[in-house]
Amino acid sequence: MSETVIDVKGLVKNYGDLHAVQGVDLEVKAGEVYSILGPNGAGKTTTVEIMECLRLKTSGEVRILGLDIDKGQKEIRRRIGVLPQAFNAFDYLTVKENIDYFGDLFDKRISADGLIKAVQLEDKRNVWFVNLSGGLKQRVGVAISMVNDPEIIFLDEPTTGLDPKARREVWKVIQDLKAQNKTVILTTHYMEEAEVLSDRVAIMDGGRFIAMGTPRQIIDQYGAGSICVVKAPNDAATKGVKDSGMQYEITNGDLCVKLDDNRSLAKLVNLLSAGEASYGEMLVKGSTLEDVFLKLTGKKLAEREGQ
Amino acid sequence: MKMKHVIVDLKGQAKSFFRIKSNIFWTIAFPLFLILVFGAIFSNMGDSTTTLYVQDLDEGPGSTAFLEALNQTEAIELKFIDADEDIDQYIKDNSLTCVMVIPSNFSEAFVANSTATVAIDMRLDDTVSTSSVVRNIVSAVVNNFNLGMSGGTEHIQVDSDSIVQEHFTYLDFFIPGIIGMTIMTTCVFGMQGTISRFRAAGIFRKLATTPMRPFEWLLSRMIWLLFISLLTLVVIMVFGMLAFGMNMTINPEALLLIVCGSAMFSALGMIIARFVKNEETASAAANAITFPMMFLSGTFFEMSMMPEYLQSVAQVLPLTYLSQGLRDAMVYDNMDGAYSNLLVVAIIAVIFVVVAVLVTKWEED
Repeated sequence: MSETVIDVKGLVKNYGDLHAVQGVDLEVKAGEVYSILGPNGAGKTTTVEIMECLRLKTSGEVRILGLDIDKGQKEIRRRIGVLPQAFNAFDYLTVKENIDYFGDLFDKRISADGLIKAVQLEDKRNVWFVNLSGGLKQRVGVAISMVNDPEIIFLDEPTTGLDPKARREVWKVIQDLKAQNKTVILTTHYMEEAEVLSDRVAIMDGGRFIAMGTPRQIIDQYGAGSICVVKAPNDAATKGVKDSGMQYEITNGDLCVKLDDNRSLAKLVNLLSAGEASYGEMLVKGSTLEDVFLKLTGKKLAEREGQ
Repeated sequence: MKMKHVIVDLKGQAKSFFRIKSNIFWTIAFPLFLILVFGAIFSNMGDSTTTLYVQDLDEGPGSTAFLEALNQTEAIELKFIDADEDIDQYIKDNSLTCVMVIPSNFSEAFVANSTATVAIDMRLDDTVSTSSVVRNIVSAVVNNFNLGMSGGTEHIQVDSDSIVQEHFTYLDFFIPGIIGMTIMTTCVFGMQGTISRFRAAGIFRKLATTPMRPFEWLLSRMIWLLFISLLTLVVIMVFGMLAFGMNMTINPEALLLIVCGSAMFSALGMIIARFVKNEETASAAANAITFPMMFLSGTFFEMSMMPEYLQSVAQVLPLTYLSQGLRDAMVYDNMDGAYSNLLVVAIIAVIFVVVAVLVTKWEED
């Protein structure tokens, strides 16, 4: 069994009357990619910045690599790597110079060339940071976070603001870290990102974890199962589904029918083939973490109901 | 403290600094530009004469002798208006501020044993500073004439001379002010800009996760800004000597003033950036603090030219002591003045640096 490298119990962080983190428990094993998922203002960054020794906690226990956060900050800093949220390195230093700058601050470091290769920036080695695209800048940031050969790497929203292609380039770098058996703590508000990259996920909202586990476990536990979307149904098709007793809702004129079990899809197809029922097309969707989040927080569902 | 961390940061700064063209402009080219502009405007200051327009209605031996005497002062340049011009209209048409009309009976006063009194008609715009100069010179010449005509003996003479040695020019006064001003702007804006930018870019949050400590970073930045201040000093001095033949020396007192001034203003920049966290607002705050200092601390003009209440304000501005100290040390060879200004600058520097170190931290509460 892997060793526990992060152990958080009852973490609380208050800013005056604002309760940013309200009693969070978290346990991360060595070699895991653990994502903390949630919307802006959920408390993700505050939680990880306490673990990174960047913020003081109000109460609770935090142990990183077995060290108490209140006593072992110097040692913890030496053994972790951090990519802060919205990080930009020095604009007028090259990729290599930026990596060397941060590397030279540590007694033990990895060579810049090794890191440049790891994040696949060999052809940008001598390019000023200011002249890189957003995705490339984040790859430099990840390289800088690895410069002291850390045991845990914290990546705080590393793909925010990037286009889909650049986001996938950063994913590749994170997947490579996982392949090297690094422990990665990833905060993101992209559900797909957490689903693709993470071994385990904690969904955060309002300063609390509202669900934790592997993406599959969370989807199975909290997801709505599969849904069949029937596009452009006529009145007969809609009446048929309504009379069948199947759970459904109408979204933008489409019928979204919940498939409770293996027989539900066949039953639905029969209904839509009978009598005068007709429709445009039909597609089946499995639940995602996004659906789980909507279900658990009710926020977007409430918006939809209000329309 | 690890010097290795300071050196790493210094190396990074040096590379970045010289790659940004605007840095070169603001720290080196801009002060030189100011010197060129002010040098062109004021390079003849001290040799200049005041123009006095004269309408001589007498044109006799008396007025000729009187005007010759005025000419000999070399402080007034005389320009003549035709006797048949309507003087009021002429003044209006030509916007004149200093005019003297010699009456037609002026020479009668020179006739032996004459008891006649003639009055010279002076038309002076008292809102113009040169008016009082003209009035004084004309009065002095008139007194001299009166004395000569009454057969009196001049027992007491007044020799007036500038308290600044004759070979000093306006530029000799101006350039230490520009050096002080450049140190202020380089250090305040350099430190405030860097801190605001690094905060927005997350660099402080990143540095906080490294073994580097805030004090090491502050030390590195202050050393760098001192280096830039010294570089600016050398460039300005060389330029001033080559372009304007200025008289100036570098001595340990001047160097100490620059070291303390650089530390003082770097710390001020840190304090501004610490308390005004928004990048644009911090820049505006730095401007609001440095601009009044630039104009009230005797950078461009002698403080004695300002109203008394503004002179009182200048007494609480740090740049006043830096600029005056540099002048005392580099131009006037007034070491007592240099030491007293150095003491004030050093005390302010220590206070500002202590406050800056105490308020600067990377971790958030």
